[in-house]
Amino acid sequence: MQIDFKHRQSAHCESGVSSNLLFHYGLDISEAMAFGIGAGLFFGYLPFIRINQLPLTTFRCEVGGILKRLTRKLGVKIHLEKFRNPEKAMAALDRGLENGIPMGCRTGAYWLPYFPSAYRFHFNMHNLVVYGKEGDDYLISDPVFPEIQRCSRPDLMKARFAKGALAPRGTMYYLTHVPGDIDLRDPIRQGIQAVCHRMLKVPGPIIGVRGIRFLAGQVEKWPRKLGKRKAALYLGQLVRMQEELGTGGAGFRFMYAAFLQESAGILNKNRLLGLSDQMTQAGDLWRRFAVLGARNCKDRAAESDSFVSMADILRECARKESEIYQELLAAVQ
Amino acid sequence: MTIKEKLKHIIIETLNLEGVTPEQIKDDDLLFGDKFGLDSIDAVEVVFQVDQHFGVKIRDMKEGRRALASINTLAAFIEARR
Repeated sequence: MQIDFKHRQSAHCESGVSSNLLFHYGLDISEAMAFGIGAGLFFGYLPFIRINQLPLTTFRCEVGGILKRLTRKLGVKIHLEKFRNPEKAMAALDRGLENGIPMGCRTGAYWLPYFPSAYRFHFNMHNLVVYGKEGDDYLISDPVFPEIQRCSRPDLMKARFAKGALAPRGTMYYLTHVPGDIDLRDPIRQGIQAVCHRMLKVPGPIIGVRGIRFLAGQVEKWPRKLGKRKAALYLGQLVRMQEELGTGGAGFRFMYAAFLQESAGILNKNRLLGLSDQMTQAGDLWRRFAVLGARNCKDRAAESDSFVSMADILRECARKESEIYQELLAAVQ
Repeated sequence: MTIKEKLKHIIIETLNLEGVTPEQIKDDDLLFGDKFGLDSIDAVEVVFQVDQHFGVKIRDMKEGRRALASINTLAAFIEARR
């Protein structure tokens, strides 16, 4: 049994799944547009949440937030369900497929056997679409892969019920209503405002541009505070969160730049083109930080690749992004 | 030196692949995985070096994942964008 579902590869799983599900119902929205309207861009350094026993740094909004905001802003209705019982979760998935519905699932990527070992780590926020079943294998549109994937029932069940931080708990979702004609202008404006508010105005030191500055201060202290080995582990986690499979690269800044570029045409605001370029430059800075981080992780850092240099780059990221969000807010008022 | 040869030298030097010679890296070998012990953290350095040496930026990770598969795919990506 196989639903006629078009698989399109994307940079990031949740925005890719969102875009692909909408496309299935006739709404052609790019991945970058899904990410932007869903207000996916974020920064948070959350040392009290541990992934693989290391502090979480996130460059995207909360899990499921992109899909939730995107569908709400576009008037799309979605059914989302979590499960305690794995067998019941798989039975519900099968029922959906039998009814011809492509089913979104949240999974632990580590347990998906088609993930290459070099890219495999414990990440419980990975989204994919199950669109068919052949024998004991499920047919999977995993948006970060170029081709359709297959996964056995036991493996998929294990991935849907992966343990650990932000466990997916069998989360499954599908669209129940997609309106025909949608004006993207207000959803775009609202998406931009939400991101700017979050990055500039959320109180506390660990969120938004303040959070980037806070992280800079922490990174500077890590070698003294943690020792070389642990500091390298912290950095490795940070770089993976920023550049790993499913991030879109440069902590999603490149994807947001693509969204701003596309929005400039829809809103007829050339100012957004300049801001898109600036966001790309911010992404390049983030990537420069990642390169230094990678060198330190792998013990091949030169003197100029110090933790102090990395902290300086982070402060420059914060300064640049602060300017961008202020200008963006003014542009969409 | 061809793009492929240059890429092999860059990867060996910048990623400190001790004991690996350019001849040992086959054009269609998977770059990231068990053979050379490279992982996604190393991919960040390769992306940076491609920019430094060839002036080609890999910003779209969807393309990046395809490009970084092997020397063949990376060289083809660079050729297409130079």
